[in-house]
Amino acid sequence: MRALIIDDSAVMRKVIERALRQAGLELLEVVQASNGEEALQALRADKGVASPIALIMSDINMPVMDGLQFLETRRDENLAPGVPVVMITTEGSEPFVLRAIAAGAQGYICKPFTADQVKARVLPLLNAA
Amino acid sequence: MAVTETDHIQEDLMSRLDSAVSEVFEMMLDRNCTPLTTEVDINEWITARIRFSGAITGECLVYASQTVAQVAAEALLGTISDPSDPMVDDAVGELCNMIAGGWKSKLDPNAAVTLISVPAITRDPVLAPHSGITYNRCYAFQGNVFGVSLAF
Repeated sequence: MRALIIDDSAVMRKVIERALRQAGLELLEVVQASNGEEALQALRADKGVASPIALIMSDINMPVMDGLQFLETRRDENLAPGVPVVMITTEGSEPFVLRAIAAGAQGYICKPFTADQVKARVLPLLNAA
Repeated sequence: MAVTETDHIQEDLMSRLDSAVSEVFEMMLDRNCTPLTTEVDINEWITARIRFSGAITGECLVYASQTVAQVAAEALLGTISDPSDPMVDDAVGELCNMIAGGWKSKLDPNAAVTLISVPAITRDPVLAPHSGITYNRCYAFQGNVFGVSLAF
Protein backbone atom coordinates (compact mmCIF):
# COMPACT_ATOMS: atom_id res chain seq x y z
CA MET A 1 0.00 0.00 0.00
CA ARG A 2 0.95 3.65 -0.32
CA ALA A 3 0.78 6.07 2.61
CA LEU A 4 0.99 9.84 2.89
CA ILE A 5 2.84 11.14 5.95
CA ILE A 6 2.51 14.85 6.69
CA ASP A 7 4.81 16.43 9.27
CA ASP A 8 7.17 19.40 9.14
CA SER A 9 9.82 17.30 10.88
CA ALA A 10 11.72 14.87 8.65
CA VAL A 11 12.72 13.01 11.81
CA MET A 12 9.11 12.52 12.79
CA ARG A 13 8.14 11.38 9.28
CA LYS A 14 10.79 8.66 9.58
CA VAL A 15 9.65 7.69 13.08
CA ILE A 16 6.02 7.41 11.91
CA GLU A 17 7.04 5.37 8.86
CA ARG A 18 9.01 3.01 11.10
CA ALA A 19 6.01 2.65 13.43
CA LEU A 20 3.75 1.80 10.48
CA ARG A 21 6.18 -0.86 9.28
CA GLN A 22 6.42 -2.24 12.83
CA ALA A 23 2.61 -2.43 12.81
CA GLY A 24 2.94 -4.86 9.91
CA LEU A 25 1.97 -2.58 7.05
CA GLU A 26 3.62 -3.42 3.76
CA LEU A 27 4.40 0.07 2.56
CA LEU A 28 5.31 0.10 -1.11
CA GLU A 29 5.74 3.85 -1.06
CA VAL A 30 5.62 6.59 1.54
CA VAL A 31 4.69 9.96 0.08
CA GLN A 32 6.08 12.70 2.30
CA ALA A 33 4.76 16.21 2.81
CA SER A 34 6.09 18.84 5.19
CA ASN A 35 2.83 20.82 5.43
CA GLY A 36 -0.82 20.69 4.45
CA GLU A 37 -0.34 22.47 1.15
CA GLU A 38 2.22 19.93 -0.04
CA ALA A 39 -0.12 17.17 1.07
CA LEU A 40 -3.02 18.60 -0.95
CA GLN A 41 -0.77 18.77 -4.01
CA ALA A 42 0.18 15.13 -3.48
CA LEU A 43 -3.48 14.08 -3.26
CA ARG A 44 -4.43 16.10 -6.36
CA ALA A 45 -1.58 14.41 -8.26
CA ASP A 46 -2.73 11.04 -6.95
CA LYS A 47 -6.13 11.17 -8.65
CA GLY A 48 -6.58 8.35 -11.13
CA VAL A 49 -3.38 6.44 -10.34
CA ALA A 50 -3.55 2.65 -10.31
CA SER A 51 -2.55 2.28 -6.67
CA PRO A 52 -3.71 5.39 -4.83
CA ILE A 53 -2.72 6.52 -1.37
CA ALA A 54 -4.59 4.33 1.13
CA LEU A 55 -3.63 5.92 4.45
CA ILE A 56 -2.93 9.49 5.58
CA MET A 57 -1.04 10.31 8.79
CA SER A 58 -0.95 14.02 9.59
CA ASP A 59 0.53 16.36 12.16
CA ILE A 60 -1.49 19.46 13.09
CA ASN A 61 1.03 22.12 14.05
CA MET A 62 2.88 22.92 10.80
CA PRO A 63 3.95 26.06 8.92
CA VAL A 64 2.33 27.18 5.62
CA MET A 65 -0.83 25.10 6.15
CA ASP A 66 -1.63 23.22 9.36
CA GLY A 67 -3.22 19.81 9.63
CA LEU A 68 -6.71 21.08 10.40
CA GLN A 69 -6.76 23.38 7.37
CA PHE A 70 -5.49 20.45 5.32
CA LEU A 71 -8.38 18.26 6.52
CA GLU A 72 -10.99 20.93 5.78
CA THR A 73 -9.64 21.68 2.30
CA ARG A 74 -9.36 17.97 1.51
CA ARG A 75 -13.00 17.54 2.51
CA ASP A 76 -14.12 20.58 0.50
CA GLU A 77 -12.25 19.37 -2.61
CA ASN A 78 -13.37 15.77 -2.05
CA LEU A 79 -9.79 14.54 -2.29
CA ALA A 80 -9.12 10.88 -1.45
CA PRO A 81 -12.61 10.30 -0.01
CA GLY A 82 -12.81 7.16 2.07
CA VAL A 83 -9.10 7.11 2.79
CA PRO A 84 -8.53 6.93 6.56
CA VAL A 85 -6.82 9.93 8.12
CA VAL A 86 -5.07 9.64 11.47
CA MET A 87 -3.85 12.78 13.20
CA ILE A 88 -0.57 12.34 15.07
CA THR A 89 0.21 15.45 17.05
CA THR A 90 1.20 17.09 20.32
CA GLU A 91 -2.12 19.01 20.26
CA GLY A 92 -4.28 16.74 22.38
CA SER A 93 -6.72 19.23 23.82
CA GLU A 94 -10.43 18.75 23.18
CA PRO A 95 -11.01 21.65 20.75
CA PHE A 96 -8.35 20.29 18.39
CA VAL A 97 -9.63 16.72 18.58
CA LEU A 98 -13.25 17.77 17.95
CA ARG A 99 -12.32 20.00 15.01
CA ALA A 100 -10.20 17.24 13.48
CA ILE A 101 -12.97 14.68 13.78
CA ALA A 102 -15.52 17.12 12.36
CA ALA A 103 -13.22 17.68 9.37
CA GLY A 104 -12.87 13.98 8.65
CA ALA A 105 -10.12 12.51 10.81
CA GLN A 106 -10.91 8.98 11.94
CA GLY A 107 -8.04 8.49 14.35
CA TYR A 108 -6.10 10.64 16.78
CA ILE A 109 -2.72 9.84 18.33
CA CYS A 110 -0.94 12.16 20.74
CA LYS A 111 2.83 12.55 20.68
CA PRO A 112 4.74 11.03 22.35
CA PHE A 113 3.45 7.67 21.14
CA THR A 114 4.51 4.05 20.94
CA ALA A 115 4.51 1.78 17.91
CA ASP A 116 1.82 -0.29 19.63
CA GLN A 117 -0.45 2.75 19.86
CA VAL A 118 -0.01 3.40 16.14
CA LYS A 119 -0.84 -0.20 15.38
CA ALA A 120 -3.94 -0.13 17.60
CA ARG A 121 -5.30 3.03 15.94
CA VAL A 122 -4.38 2.39 12.32
CA LEU A 123 -5.04 -1.30 11.65
CA PRO A 124 -8.77 -1.25 12.52
CA LEU A 125 -9.26 1.71 10.18
CA LEU A 126 -7.54 -0.06 7.31
CA ASN A 127 -9.48 -3.24 7.93
CA ALA A 128 -12.74 -1.28 7.88
CA ALA A 129 -11.87 0.74 4.76
CA MET B 1 12.34 28.17 56.01
CA ALA B 2 8.62 28.50 55.22
CA VAL B 3 7.34 27.07 51.95
CA THR B 4 5.68 29.83 49.95
CA GLU B 5 2.94 29.73 47.34
CA THR B 6 5.60 30.50 44.74
CA ASP B 7 7.53 27.41 45.84
CA HIS B 8 4.41 25.29 45.41
CA ILE B 9 3.80 26.67 41.93
CA GLN B 10 7.39 26.03 40.91
CA GLU B 11 7.32 22.51 42.35
CA ASP B 12 4.09 21.77 40.49
CA LEU B 13 5.40 23.13 37.18
CA MET B 14 8.63 21.17 37.44
CA SER B 15 6.88 17.98 38.52
CA ARG B 16 4.74 18.12 35.40
CA LEU B 17 7.84 18.87 33.33
CA ASP B 18 9.67 15.87 34.82
CA SER B 19 6.74 13.68 33.92
CA ALA B 20 6.55 15.03 30.36
CA VAL B 21 10.29 14.57 29.77
CA SER B 22 10.21 11.04 31.17
CA GLU B 23 7.28 10.06 28.94
CA VAL B 24 8.92 11.41 25.79
CA PHE B 25 12.15 9.53 26.39
CA GLU B 26 10.48 6.32 27.48
CA MET B 27 7.96 6.17 24.65
CA MET B 28 9.93 7.62 21.75
CA LEU B 29 13.56 6.77 22.57
CA ASP B 30 13.10 3.72 24.79
CA ARG B 31 15.36 5.36 27.37
CA ASN B 32 14.95 6.25 31.02
CA CYS B 33 15.47 9.95 31.61
CA THR B 34 15.71 11.43 35.08
CA PRO B 35 16.02 14.97 36.48
CA LEU B 36 19.32 16.06 38.03
CA THR B 37 19.49 17.91 41.32
CA THR B 38 22.17 20.30 40.07
CA GLU B 39 22.59 22.31 36.89
CA VAL B 40 25.36 21.26 34.53
CA ASP B 41 27.30 23.48 32.14
CA ILE B 42 26.50 22.56 28.56
CA ASN B 43 28.88 23.61 25.80
CA GLU B 44 28.36 23.87 22.02
CA TRP B 45 24.63 24.22 22.43
CA ILE B 46 21.91 23.22 20.09
CA THR B 47 18.78 24.92 21.36
CA ALA B 48 15.17 24.36 20.34
CA ARG B 49 12.51 26.89 21.30
CA ILE B 50 8.74 26.50 21.40
CA ARG B 51 6.56 29.49 22.18
CA PHE B 52 3.29 29.30 24.11
CA SER B 53 0.46 31.72 23.35
CA GLY B 54 -3.14 31.99 24.46
CA ALA B 55 -4.01 31.03 28.03
CA ILE B 56 -0.29 30.76 28.78
CA THR B 57 2.34 33.08 27.35
CA GLY B 58 5.93 31.92 27.49
CA GLU B 59 8.31 29.43 26.03
CA CYS B 60 9.98 26.08 26.45
CA LEU B 61 13.66 25.64 25.58
CA VAL B 62 15.51 22.36 25.20
CA TYR B 63 19.27 22.67 24.94
CA ALA B 64 21.96 20.05 24.55
CA SER B 65 25.54 19.74 23.42
CA GLN B 66 26.05 18.62 19.84
CA THR B 67 27.27 15.25 21.12
CA VAL B 68 24.22 14.66 23.31
CA ALA B 69 21.92 15.91 20.56
CA GLN B 70 23.48 13.38 18.21
CA VAL B 71 22.94 10.55 20.74
CA ALA B 72 19.31 11.59 21.17
CA ALA B 73 18.78 11.76 17.41
CA GLU B 74 20.23 8.29 16.99
CA ALA B 75 17.97 6.92 19.73
CA LEU B 76 14.93 8.55 18.15
CA LEU B 77 15.71 7.46 14.60
CA GLY B 78 17.37 4.14 15.32
CA THR B 79 20.18 5.02 12.93
CA ILE B 80 23.60 6.59 13.26
CA SER B 81 23.83 10.25 12.38
CA ASP B 82 26.56 12.84 11.93
CA PRO B 83 26.73 15.79 14.40
CA SER B 84 26.36 18.25 11.52
CA ASP B 85 23.41 16.37 10.01
CA PRO B 86 20.32 18.62 9.89
CA MET B 87 18.39 15.66 11.28
CA VAL B 88 20.17 16.23 14.61
CA ASP B 89 18.74 19.75 14.86
CA ASP B 90 15.37 18.46 13.71
CA ALA B 91 15.44 15.77 16.42
CA VAL B 92 16.12 18.34 19.17
CA GLY B 93 13.24 20.41 17.80
CA GLU B 94 10.89 17.44 17.93
CA LEU B 95 11.97 16.57 21.46
CA CYS B 96 11.20 20.16 22.47
CA ASN B 97 7.86 19.97 20.67
CA MET B 98 6.84 16.79 22.45
CA ILE B 99 8.09 17.95 25.86
CA ALA B 100 6.26 21.27 25.53
CA GLY B 101 3.11 19.57 24.26
CA GLY B 102 3.28 16.91 26.97
CA TRP B 103 3.76 19.53 29.67
CA LYS B 104 0.83 21.53 28.33
CA SER B 105 -1.41 18.47 28.28
CA LYS B 106 -0.80 17.95 32.00
CA LEU B 107 -2.22 21.35 32.92
CA ASP B 108 -5.85 21.87 33.80
CA PRO B 109 -8.23 22.07 30.81
CA ASN B 110 -8.45 25.88 30.84
CA ALA B 111 -4.68 26.32 30.81
CA ALA B 112 -4.40 23.65 28.14
CA VAL B 113 -6.19 25.98 25.70
CA THR B 114 -2.79 27.27 24.74
CA LEU B 115 -1.23 27.25 21.29
CA ILE B 116 2.31 26.10 20.77
CA SER B 117 4.52 27.27 17.93
CA VAL B 118 6.57 25.13 15.60
CA PRO B 119 10.09 24.67 17.00
CA ALA B 120 12.86 27.12 16.15
CA ILE B 121 16.39 25.71 16.27
CA THR B 122 19.61 27.58 16.79
CA ARG B 123 23.26 26.81 17.50
CA ASP B 124 23.67 30.25 19.04
CA PRO B 125 25.41 29.86 22.44
CA VAL B 126 24.01 33.09 23.84
CA LEU B 127 20.38 32.10 23.43
CA ALA B 128 18.39 32.78 26.57
CA PRO B 129 14.67 32.76 27.33
CA HIS B 130 12.87 35.92 26.24
CA SER B 131 10.38 35.92 29.08
CA GLY B 132 10.64 36.99 32.72
CA ILE B 133 10.45 34.15 35.24
CA THR B 134 12.54 31.16 34.20
CA TYR B 135 12.67 27.66 35.61
CA ASN B 136 15.63 25.50 34.57
CA ARG B 137 16.29 21.83 35.06
CA CYS B 138 18.87 19.41 33.71
CA TYR B 139 18.07 15.81 32.82
CA ALA B 140 20.18 12.76 32.02
CA PHE B 141 19.63 9.65 29.93
CA GLN B 142 22.40 7.06 29.98
CA GLY B 143 24.82 9.68 31.28
CA ASN B 144 23.93 12.19 28.57
CA VAL B 145 22.90 15.53 30.06
CA PHE B 146 20.64 18.15 28.54
CA GLY B 147 18.63 21.07 29.87
CA VAL B 148 15.05 22.30 29.72
CA SER B 149 13.84 25.80 30.55
CA LEU B 150 10.31 27.01 31.03
CA ALA B 151 9.92 30.78 30.92
CA PHE B 152 6.80 32.90 31.47
